[in-house]
Amino acid sequence: MLHRRLYQFLIIYLSGIALLMVIKYSLNLSDYVIPGPGEVWQTARQFLPVYFLAVINTLSVAILGHILSICLATLVGVIGRLTIWVGSFIRVAAYNIQAYPIVAVAPIIFILLGDGLSSRLLIAAMICYFPLLLSFIGIFSEPISEIEHFFESTLRMNWRLQVKIRAFENINKLITVIVGSATLAMVGTIVAEFIAADAGIGYSIRIALFQSDLAKILVALFLIGICTSLYLVLLEWIGHMIQRRWEVPKGG
Amino acid sequence: MNRLRLKLEIKSKSDNAPPMLLECKKLRFQYPGTRLHVFKELDFQISGPGFHALFGPSGVGKTTLAKMIGGKINGYAGKIATGKMKRILYTYNLERLPGWSSVREHLELNTPDESKHYVDDLIDSFGLQGVMDSRFAQLSLGQQNRTNLTRYLLQDFDLLIMDESLANVDELTKEKIILKLKHMFPERCFLYISHNVVEVAKFCKQILVLRSHHKTPQAVILKGQNHDGKQIIDDRALEHTMLEIVNAS
Repeated sequence: MLHRRLYQFLIIYLSGIALLMVIKYSLNLSDYVIPGPGEVWQTARQFLPVYFLAVINTLSVAILGHILSICLATLVGVIGRLTIWVGSFIRVAAYNIQAYPIVAVAPIIFILLGDGLSSRLLIAAMICYFPLLLSFIGIFSEPISEIEHFFESTLRMNWRLQVKIRAFENINKLITVIVGSATLAMVGTIVAEFIAADAGIGYSIRIALFQSDLAKILVALFLIGICTSLYLVLLEWIGHMIQRRWEVPKGG
Repeated sequence: MNRLRLKLEIKSKSDNAPPMLLECKKLRFQYPGTRLHVFKELDFQISGPGFHALFGPSGVGKTTLAKMIGGKINGYAGKIATGKMKRILYTYNLERLPGWSSVREHLELNTPDESKHYVDDLIDSFGLQGVMDSRFAQLSLGQQNRTNLTRYLLQDFDLLIMDESLANVDELTKEKIILKLKHMFPERCFLYISHNVVEVAKFCKQILVLRSHHKTPQAVILKGQNHDGKQIIDDRALEHTMLEIVNAS
């Protein structure tokens, strides 16, 4: 799993670098526009430790934001599964709000909360929250009649059991959507740092952009890719362990 | 004082109700958004405890009727009366147990205290000893249906509607199970939905044959052989009942 993810990333990254070099040498662009391999290598040696810490900082915020959005999506999904008006209201509201780009709301968050940790965390959580919420609402609202029927008929059904049944029956979907939203959490954090923050790799990229230093940006992208892949592998591994815990051979 | 009087009135009314009665009067039903009537003026009456059957060709409305009796479908015209039978359970053959627990854990958790003494006997009679520590997905279809039926039999009920609950179970085991539950629960009422003419004719007390909506009457009640395993079956009488069922449907 780890090898596959890293190989995939390295292939894409190196292909991108190769394409840039083809453009550079075919159009005879200066090192100021696209730096040569030597300059990229020198920049990597110089900035790798600093950027590594910045990526770890970003990843920590992304993981926190991801956890926050999972908890929030679970909570709202559990309420949204209700057949009474509260459930309908939450479902409709979720579908409408998710259509609005969160990045457009980001400046308001920065104006209200400043450019500290809370703003980055909130934007990261919001960007990965809505895809999670829509999936969670869908999963928790869908009855598993062939299991729930018994508990309803014998008056044993309660909300915890209902959520447990629906989550258990859709565990693969839940894991897939959680893994999928991890990338969004990372994207959200970097976007927040890029717009207005004083730390993280997005902030470093913004400074590199002001300096028109593509070499630094390429080094930052390399570290972002590696760290995001590692986080995805970790989530996939946890998901795999959960699935293995409950997997049983079919009878016959 | 008034509340006490009301309670007494309700009690006396419920005492006057026929003890075990399942009655439908002028039942009319069509699924929303469809023009086809599933039932048009459906009338029938099944009385007394015992093992009764609901028989009929596919698509005639057996499951719909069962769900209506079990309170799962509303919005019909006419009347369904269940007399003193208040605890009605409906079970069907596609039900599953939650995947996180074994059969044993599930039964332990969902068996009322007053039915605990039935557990071992039912497990033994239903041939489930070997699967108690397995999870539901690991069982064969027949074992799954037997397990599902077992957990329902352990509940407190007056009427249990069994919608093809013994599908995928071999004939011998099926016979053993039917005889066992007739023996264990003689005071309770069962409504067994099956497509098997032989078992319906052989084991059931009353057979409600449901017919297509354009036939009149839409339901016919026949008397089954009500075999309890103690007496020898009269083959001619059984054949006669089977013929009656086939002709009626």
